[in-house]
Formats: sequence, C-alpha cells, structure tokens
Amino acid sequence: MKLLIVEDEVKTASFLKRGFSEAGFVVSVAFDGVDGMRQIQTGGFDLIVLDIMLPGTDGWHILTWLREAGLQTPVLILTARDEVRDRVKGLELGADDYLVKPFAFSELLARVRTILRRPPVREASTLRVADLELDMDGHRATRAGQRLDLTGREFTLLSLLVRHAGEVLTRTLIAQSVWNMNFDGDTNVVDVNLRRLRSKVDDPFPRKLLRTVRGVGYVLENPERN
Amino acid sequence: MFSKTLRGTSLRGGRPGGASLAVLLTAWYTMASFVVVSAATGLLYLGLANNLRKISEQSLLDELDVCRALVRERGGDSQALHEEVEIDSAVRRYQKFYVRVLDASGMALSTTPGMDRDLSSSRLAQAAAGQQGIFWIDSPGGAPYRAIVALLPRDSTHRDVWTLQVAVDLTQEQEVLGRQRVWVWAVLAAALIFCPGVGVAIARRGTRPLREVAETARHIGSSTLNERIRAEGYPVEVAVLAEAFNAMLERLEESFARLSRFSADIAHELRTPVNNIRGEAEVALARTRTPEEYGEVLASCLEESVRLSELIESLLFLARSESPGDHLKRTREDLGRLLTDLRDYYEATATEMGVTLTASVGDSVWGDVDRALLQRALGNLVSNALAHCSAGDGIWLSARRQGGQTSIEVRDTGSGISADVLPRVFDRFYRADPARSRNSGGAGLGLAIVRQIVFLHGGDVRISSERGRGTTVSVVLPQST
Repeated sequence: MKLLIVEDEVKTASFLKRGFSEAGFVVSVAFDGVDGMRQIQTGGFDLIVLDIMLPGTDGWHILTWLREAGLQTPVLILTARDEVRDRVKGLELGADDYLVKPFAFSELLARVRTILRRPPVREASTLRVADLELDMDGHRATRAGQRLDLTGREFTLLSLLVRHAGEVLTRTLIAQSVWNMNFDGDTNVVDVNLRRLRSKVDDPFPRKLLRTVRGVGYVLENPERN
Repeated sequence: MFSKTLRGTSLRGGRPGGASLAVLLTAWYTMASFVVVSAATGLLYLGLANNLRKISEQSLLDELDVCRALVRERGGDSQALHEEVEIDSAVRRYQKFYVRVLDASGMALSTTPGMDRDLSSSRLAQAAAGQQGIFWIDSPGGAPYRAIVALLPRDSTHRDVWTLQVAVDLTQEQEVLGRQRVWVWAVLAAALIFCPGVGVAIARRGTRPLREVAETARHIGSSTLNERIRAEGYPVEVAVLAEAFNAMLERLEESFARLSRFSADIAHELRTPVNNIRGEAEVALARTRTPEEYGEVLASCLEESVRLSELIESLLFLARSESPGDHLKRTREDLGRLLTDLRDYYEATATEMGVTLTASVGDSVWGDVDRALLQRALGNLVSNALAHCSAGDGIWLSARRQGGQTSIEVRDTGSGISADVLPRVFDRFYRADPARSRNSGGAGLGLAIVRQIVFLHGGDVRISSERGRGTTVSVVLPQST
C-alpha cells in the first residue's frame, strides 16, 4: 500500500513516516503543497494524508484540485483546526476522513485501515485468533475448546478486539464502539472493563492474547506471530 | 459659529455623522426662545396700538357729541360754537382736534384754525363718502388723521341740515407706536444675540456630565478597570447612564479577573505535565540506558502528552462554548436510553468498587439534545459521583418530566461535599478536595464542562449535598430542548 503524507511540520512528518512504514506501508513525504501536487501527479498512491495549513498552497486547494482532476484517491485530512465548519468543509470537498491534532497514532492508523478496507467485506461468521474462537451468529466465544462466560458487552468488546486483531485500539475508540460513548471523559472505565475481560479470556490460559499498550490503548494479538 | 466652537468639546469629538448634542440643544433652545420673545413683543405692540386707537376714537366721538350738543341746544349761539371749534380745539396740545361746521349749503360756518391745510372740506367729504362712522385719512405732509363726518338736522323738516366734520390728529399716537416699534426691534435684536448665548451655556452645562462620563470612559483600560464614574450630583438621566456604565465596568472587571485567574490556572496545569515530559526525557538522555528503561520513559511521556491533549481539548471546549452562536447538534433522543447506556458504561467500574449503579426512568422521556454533549455532561456527573462513593454506596440516575421541564438527576449516597465549597464546585479548576491530586480528580474542569453544556442547552444545573449523606445533582432542561 502506497501512502503520501503532505505535512510541513518536520517532526510530525517524521513520526508519521516511521509509524506507517512500521505498519507495512510504503510512505512518501511532501513538505509543501506544490511538492505534494507534483508527487500526486506522478505517484499512484492508495491514500493521501493531508495537512491543511501548508506553505505554498494549502490543503483545501490540493483537495479541490485533486477532485476536480477526477482522482478518487482517498484523502484523510490532518489538522490542528477543529472548528465544525472546517470539518464540514473538508468532507464536502471530498475528504474521506478528518482527524484533529493532537491525535493518537494508533487512531490514525485504524482510520487509514478503515478507509482502505472499504467497501467492507462480508464478515465471517467465525473469527479466530490463536486458540480463541468467536461465533458471531451465536454470540459465543470459546478458547481452547472451552466456552467463555461473557456478558453481552464483554462479547461486543472482545469481537471488536478480534476484528481488529494486531491493531492498537485507543480507549476512546473502544468506548465509542462498545458503549456508544462519544467523549474522552473517564477512560479508565475502559481499563476496568478490559481487566474484567482479561480475567475471563486470558487469566485461565498460559498464552496471553490481550496486551496493554501504555499511554495508547489495547491490542489483541497472537503473541507467537511476533 | 456655534457648531465650530462646540464641536471641539462635544461628546462625539467631532466624529463624522450625527450632529453634536450641544449644537442641537442650542439650536432648539434659540429657536424656541426667539419664537416666544417675538410672539410676546408682537402681541404687546398690537395691544398697545389697539388701545391707542380706541382712546382716539373715544375722544373723537366725545368731541363730536360736544359739538352736536352745542349746535342742537344752543343753535343760534355762534359764539359758543366759535369758542369750542376755533379756540378749545386749537389749544389742545396732546390730542389735537379739528372741527368744521358746514351749513346746509356747504358753507363753512366755523373751522378750527389750520384745518384747511390738510383737511379741506371737500377732501373730508370725499373721504367720508360711502363710509359709516370713523375713518382714516392720510395727510400728504404730516401725520394721518382719524375723522368722522356727521349730519346735524337743524329742525324737524330736515331741510336745514348742517354737517359736522371732526378729525383728530394722530401724530402723538404714531409717535408712541413708533417708539414702541423701536423697542420691539431692540428686544428682538437682544434676544437674537442673547438666546444663542444662553443656549450654548445651557447646552454646555447640560452635556458636561456626559462629557465627564465620556472622559472617564476614555481613560479606563484593562489595567484600570477598578475606576468608576462618580454618579452623585449628576442629573437623573446621566446618573442612570453612569450607573449602567459602572455596572458594566463591574461585570468587565469581574470577568477580567476571572479570565486572568483562569489563565494562571491554565499555565499551572500545563506546567506540570510539560515539566514531567521535559524532566524525564532530560534525565533519560543523560546517560545510556537499557531498552526497557527507554520504553518506560517513553511510555510515561506518552501518558503525560495524553493528559495534556485532554486538558487542551477541555479548555478549547470551554472557550468555544462561551463564544456566541449555536454550538449544539440537536437530535431527538430517548433520555432514558441515554441513562441506561451510561449505566452500562460505568457498571463494571461501579461493581468493582462495590457501588450499586441504577438507572430508573418512569415514562419514556424524550428531548431535543446534543447527544454527545449531554452524554459527556452526565458522564462527568456519574464519574464525579463514583469518586465520592465507596463500597456499599449507591448511585441513582433518573429522568422525569416536571411541569414544563425535563429533570435529570444523579444522586449518590457518597461522602458528600461540605456546604462552604458547594457554590464553587462548578468553577473551573476548582477541586473540592485539594488533597485529591490530578491522578484521581482530573484537572478540575469536569463540572465546569457540565455546567457549560447544560447552559448551552438553555438549562440549569443544581447541586445539593450533605457531608456524609451524599450529593444530588439535577440537570433541568427546558421542555423545548
């Protein structure tokens, strides 16, 4: 997957490049709008991460130019401006998503993956990570053939983690997806729920699937894969 | 000329658009007083002229009566007639009368000396033709006359009819009126000079308090907001203005003070995490460490950054929600559902603490609210309640319709908040328990955000608490929301 990052702030561009590269993307960086447009013309990118405040020509202009040229490359806007009208403007101009600085890199990664995954593939009725198995139709989870006794929310939480296996999910994202809570208020509520889930999913078994990523969130992965 | 002299000191400072109040006042005052003076002197003059005319007419008729009586009663006594007509009339100085008696053939029997100069018999007869009673007659050389011509039958046969021609010289009357006119013009001229002068003085005096208010206002800057306008001694209208102005200053000063306190608080809150990041990174880089140690430092820095981000987000939210404009994305929501969702979210935490968390909604309660914001507000309240609870306590969430309002209540049986700090718990950066560090209590913005969200919805938030008995927070939203 080829990714173009148009970002004038050197440090930001640098950590974005490293993060995306380590996540398996091929990354190019443009430090100003003009260079960005030149690279877009030559490049064949699968997705563009676009900053709005750029020297030379700004992100709005690049986005407009891109869509007028008939290019359907997905664009994720990255900016420190989060006025509602800016968001609306971005989406109206044909951006696929909008993320406000400061953000968690894992959140950006998750959103990029979501955009690239569209249109959604039909979800399998059985999800598997190592010896953990989720029967999505029957709302049943088993590990090593043993039935796990989960509440409804716990099952939703586990299936979210399994569906995004290998991706770090932020507490905010988890609160949004599982409880429909749209605020960052008290995210240690998520920690409590994860702890309870862990006590059922991981504690009885020697191989631990759930991992806490300090300062970021949680990831469910098969430890033997890494 | 007034506009020029007054403009310089006028309230508007000579800015374009709109005349100076002082100039307007002067103009109106001048116009009004000049009209009054003109009307008064004019009426006095007309009254005088009228009176003088009546007096001369009365005298004329008197004289006529005297002559008529003389002729009628002492018909043949030409001596008496002669005395009256030629001597008496001639010697009067103030009102000079002229009398001529004509016999039936038109011959002058007796004439006051000098009468022929201006008032010949034929001229009078001509002027009298077609006029009843007293008439006015000009003289070519001097003053006009008022005159009357009367027939005087000498016997019952009406064949011997004499004619009496009586005239009064109006020189004196005209002189009096002339002097009066001079006076009138003098008064008007004086008024023309005097009125604007007085007008300017009055207008200046009247607008002086305004200028003083303006002067004070001009001097007040952000650092001198404690200054006030002294409203005493001013007329009521200006005093009202000054009081309103002072009240505004009061509010400004208060919000300035709050703002600077707020800025200081922000700086303080930002300083701590920044200091942690800086210090940890600096110490970590001082010498070579194991990868695990680096990982630990980075993780800690990340946590501090997240804390900073959250703080910035909260501050931005508060700042933005105070700027005017509608910030809400209202949708029709089942508030009961909102509460059960919240209960589900916090249930695990509550259970771990040994606290029972219950959501009860009677009939379904709906409202047009911004779901995300209201969720955030109520989430903060539940989170706050949990922080005050310990094992065995309970938290109840309820929503009900009450009159024209919707009331959402978060009640707990936790430790409660003491009465002296209760009014301040909604203030920014206020922590009821100073010992509770940020680790447990956040930055102290939670309840401030709650209040702001409820205000945005046009509602009100109330808190009641008793030490050791628990706390109840009610969010009251108007029905329309």
